[in-house]
Amino acid sequence: MPPKKRVFQRKRSCRFCSDKEMSIDYKDPKTLRNFVTERGKIIPRRIYGTCATHQRQLCEAIKRARQIALLPYSGSTQR
Amino acid sequence: MRRYETIYILRPTMSENEITAVIENTNTILGTEGGQIISLDKWGVRTLAYEIKKETLGYYVFCDYASNPGNVIEMERRFRIDDSVMKYMTVKIEDAIDEEGIVSARGEYEAAAIAAARRAAEASDQEEDLDEDDTLDDDDVEND
Repeated sequence: MPPKKRVFQRKRSCRFCSDKEMSIDYKDPKTLRNFVTERGKIIPRRIYGTCATHQRQLCEAIKRARQIALLPYSGSTQR
Repeated sequence: MRRYETIYILRPTMSENEITAVIENTNTILGTEGGQIISLDKWGVRTLAYEIKKETLGYYVFCDYASNPGNVIEMERRFRIDDSVMKYMTVKIEDAIDEEGIVSARGEYEAAAIAAARRAAEASDQEEDLDEDDTLDDDDVEND
């Protein structure tokens, strides 16, 4: 018998695929904030189930936003 | 001609005249040899996510334009010399853009502006007080 591995199997789907209105833009830090941790790290796609294409775009956008100081490289924003 | 967009951050202490001077200088550099500005947007003073040159605030200027690579190099060279520009970033949007492309891109910006204005008007009509703040609050994220 196979061991019980996945107890919680949440249904995850890519937020950007299901919602066509949502776009990934490095100039929009409010949306991007949902995809980084409090410390500013990019959240891996296994958590939110973002598809590979969109995760790649997201990653690029977050890195650009960091360059121009819209998102922090590390740590929360000092305010 | 290529299509680029550039964001540059100016010092927040600058006066309105100084800011316009910098923007105009930049636009003239980009405008040489048939370069054209598609959209220029002053985002105004914003909080920076991290300190740049000891400043926590910055005046953001966003510019979308069609220009030659040489102009971009020249603009960035001046930015590096100019003390008022704290940081800049240029992103290439399209490898080639023609007159039609420029016109349609301008049209898109206008349409977006109209849509935004309408949305703002609707929001003020309904007088909604949606306090959905999806940004992370940064309390209790102190170093431990």
